[in-house]
Amino acid sequence: MRFVGRTQSLTTFSSFLLSYPLYQLGNPQLRLFRPNWFLTLVRPGKEQPPDTVQFRIPMEMTKCDVKSYLEKIYNVPVGVVRTRIQFGSNKKRNHLNQRVKQPDYKVAYVQLAQGQTFTFPDIFPEKDRTPTEGSMEEMQEKFMEDEKQRQKLDPRRGGVTEWFGL
Amino acid sequence: MWQDALLNMAACSSAGRVLSLCRRFQNVLRISSATNIQRSAVNVTKYHCQLYRETSPLVSPFWSSPTSTASQCRGLHTTISRRGLEEFFDLPENWGEANVKSGAPWTAKQLRTKSNEDLHKLWYVLLKEKNMLLTLEQESKRQRLQMPSPERLRKVERSMFRLETVVTERETALRLLQTGQEKGRPGAWRRNLFGYIYWYRFKEYAIPWYMNKRYKRKTFYTPHFVQPHMRLRLEKHLRDKTRKANSEKQKLAKLKEKFPLMKVPAS
Repeated sequence: MRFVGRTQSLTTFSSFLLSYPLYQLGNPQLRLFRPNWFLTLVRPGKEQPPDTVQFRIPMEMTKCDVKSYLEKIYNVPVGVVRTRIQFGSNKKRNHLNQRVKQPDYKVAYVQLAQGQTFTFPDIFPEKDRTPTEGSMEEMQEKFMEDEKQRQKLDPRRGGVTEWFGL
Repeated sequence: MWQDALLNMAACSSAGRVLSLCRRFQNVLRISSATNIQRSAVNVTKYHCQLYRETSPLVSPFWSSPTSTASQCRGLHTTISRRGLEEFFDLPENWGEANVKSGAPWTAKQLRTKSNEDLHKLWYVLLKEKNMLLTLEQESKRQRLQMPSPERLRKVERSMFRLETVVTERETALRLLQTGQEKGRPGAWRRNLFGYIYWYRFKEYAIPWYMNKRYKRKTFYTPHFVQPHMRLRLEKHLRDKTRKANSEKQKLAKLKEKFPLMKVPAS
């Protein structure tokens, strides 16, 4: 039997916790001092209305949690939150023909309040990379190009492999 | 109060660790008081220098300053930039870059010099940073591109873990001073049915234990007839250990025979 020794205190309910105590009516409000929930803002696969933002959230998070998280930490006015659980595919098979399961995750659709809209920006724009004259990168690139040129096959052979012929 | 706590600690079995913790806590107190004095002595212009010196890479400058009161730094503008959902993305000038520069993660030593309030502020900064990086990672996966500087994620995780350890350290020290207990939840080392010894964490029962059927059903002892099995288990474990060691030794000997100039690992 193995026990993971980790001190936890209920008053300062801290992060790196596996589960958190369920709130029961009449109990003092649960307080999170250092939340360890991480949201991932994702580009929606299906088109969404302009005021809707799609997140991937941890399984334990509820709608209310998402709302208070965004309002308290990010100062974003939140109208409605809808969630669903995405089934991770188990279609793949490994080399022993056993099913391989992708992890499930929860998806939250957050409708912003106060008429705010959000569109996912293009965070990988095409930037022209021309390295400056005489820099290390330029030399490297030149060297790589030369090497490639050198390793090219003889065009007069017309694509016939190297080992064929005299 | 102090002496009582110390006496209690001396009685504790893990006295050494306790004392070191207390000392660390004292150090923290001393440092915080020192910074307070320093703060009152230093004027605003000097304050700027201190601020820039203490700036750490992962964090924007206004967090790393040891401020807690607004009155001491009137000249300094420390409003948080309210960017809303923009904070899930990197700064626009970093978009499309192949690699983004970042500093080292926070060390526990650096974090111990900060006040609790600062640590909690820093937690939120790190949380936002990690959210940003996760968003970036997901988007790059989706577009099948390489994530720019993926080592940042690990750095943030490490800093968060260290921050957590520092905060729990302080909590433990405070609890030791106040109650003389190291753990927030009391417990005891107990024996199992199978002869294992483990840390049992106490919990509240509605009924006293001597009338509680469910509690009484639990076995916190090892019956006599389990003794031979414990012995067998130990033997099995030892045999396994020696077998592993022997095979390792043989492997090394074989390699030595093949490659006489090979360096043998120290252990």
